[in-house]
Amino acid sequence: MEQELQILWAAVTAYVLAGVVAVVGVVLGKRPERSVLALMLAGLALQTLSIGLRWDRLGHGPFITMFEILCSNVWSLMAAYSLAYWRIARIRATAAIVMPLMFVMLGWLMVAHPGEGHYPPTYNTPWLYIHIGLGKVFLGAVLVAVGLSCVILMRHAGIGRQRLAHLPASPQLDELAFRCMAIGLIFHTLMLIAGAIWAQDAWGRYWAWDPLETWAFIT
Amino acid sequence: MVRAVKEGKATEGSVDRAWAVLTIAPERRPASAGILRLLASLRLTLALIALLGCGVAFAYLREGARTWPLVVPLVLLALNLLAAVLTNGVFRRQTELLVFHLALIVLLLLVAAGRLTYLNGYVGVTEGVPFDGTLSDSDQGPLHAGDLARVHFVNKGFRIDYAPGLQRGATRNEVAWAGPDGRWHEELIGDQTPLVLSGYRFYTTFNKGFAPTFRWRNAHGADLRGSVQLPPYPLKEYSQAAEWTPPGSALSIWVMLDIDEILLDPAEHTTFRLPERYRLVVRIGRDRHEMRPGESLQTAEGTLEFEGLRSWMGYRVFYDWTLPWLLAACALAVVSLAAHFWRKFTAKPWDA
Repeated sequence: MEQELQILWAAVTAYVLAGVVAVVGVVLGKRPERSVLALMLAGLALQTLSIGLRWDRLGHGPFITMFEILCSNVWSLMAAYSLAYWRIARIRATAAIVMPLMFVMLGWLMVAHPGEGHYPPTYNTPWLYIHIGLGKVFLGAVLVAVGLSCVILMRHAGIGRQRLAHLPASPQLDELAFRCMAIGLIFHTLMLIAGAIWAQDAWGRYWAWDPLETWAFIT
Repeated sequence: MVRAVKEGKATEGSVDRAWAVLTIAPERRPASAGILRLLASLRLTLALIALLGCGVAFAYLREGARTWPLVVPLVLLALNLLAAVLTNGVFRRQTELLVFHLALIVLLLLVAAGRLTYLNGYVGVTEGVPFDGTLSDSDQGPLHAGDLARVHFVNKGFRIDYAPGLQRGATRNEVAWAGPDGRWHEELIGDQTPLVLSGYRFYTTFNKGFAPTFRWRNAHGADLRGSVQLPPYPLKEYSQAAEWTPPGSALSIWVMLDIDEILLDPAEHTTFRLPERYRLVVRIGRDRHEMRPGESLQTAEGTLEFEGLRSWMGYRVFYDWTLPWLLAACALAVVSLAAHFWRKFTAKPWDA
């Protein structure tokens, strides 16, 4: 377990460096985009290795404990944002906003107990992977939208207008954020449907208004 | 129709029909259109969603009120959405959006229908004893019309492995059930696989345990068999006792299973099994007896013979005929919404 955690620490360090470089770049009016992307990808590679080692050791994916769920969410959010960062060059400056948001989750991950949990027999179904996979896309799309929306809000509030000037105009960012949220809505709905199928098979009810389901519905 | 005339998109025939509607029933049309517009109000949608939220909270807090507090807002929401579809021209121009909203209406009505006809229940079935259609606990919608009495199956035993720390593994339960042709079929059910008979779905649960089985011969010579399902094991390992009244008798028999061995060792990989070393303590009034398999006990009302120990499995029973239709409506709604967004987003780039 120690090796997994050391590799995870290295991944977290790479993410933090990516965030710091992104923020410093915006503040100083520089565009260190290649460095940021390289650091994010290095972090992703290291975290993938850490998750893979843990998966191999425990015989199940990161689905059980809070540590595992946070770790898997950090991985998927970084994967989604890295993809957006790579493919949509015009919005790269949003890394200065998105990465500090990720720091919160990284901090939570670092204080979570990395011990293992019991893998319940009800998790032994392909619907688990479908449900979680769809949820990852939903969260990733929403993270990109959050970054874009924060830029619009900051401009409205008169914060960093000059430093964020090379980003597209707010109506364009709004349109892109709306599209990301639309993707999020579709995948969130699909995630709920897959979760309902899983719940029906595993617990004999597709919906029970438990706290997790209720919050997912409200979202 | 009138909107179409104004927009200059109507055909000659549709203009004639619109004119006819306006001239033949000049007073009725605005009134019905007004009601429809009122029904289609977005404010009403918000109010009904709030009502549904209240209904959910009410149903969550009060077990006896899980139908009407949900059905009424669901049906009203379906009507509200239907009125919106009928009055809003955008749905006639955008087919994907129309299909999405129609799928939503179907979803709302199906959920309401499901609440009216559902059944949720629980039953413990002793190994080798046929399920006779009687549930030990259940709640159902007022229009539930299923025929559980015709459902028969036999629990033929189960296997559950435990990892160290008593971590429960997969449940593999063998069952036999009678088909409509009267022939018996065997099936292996478990954590992800329910037994589905006549629309009723039987799910294994973590509740399982031991059931002493008795033969009861009353004073008239009638021979009856029965089993006493003791509390779940290992959940209630230290309270393996229950009271039982033989059929047609007023006798209260208290039964306790005293297991004299470690059945599920938390330190090792182990499997659920019947105990080999145990004592069955039977108390009738102030008299206390210890019984072994095959032993009999004479009481004032008849003879009690302890046949042996069996296992029992608890099943969650669920009935909702709307399930496949709900899935179909959900799939249609998501596909049509995705198609709507796809058409909208591909029409022009985001930074155009």
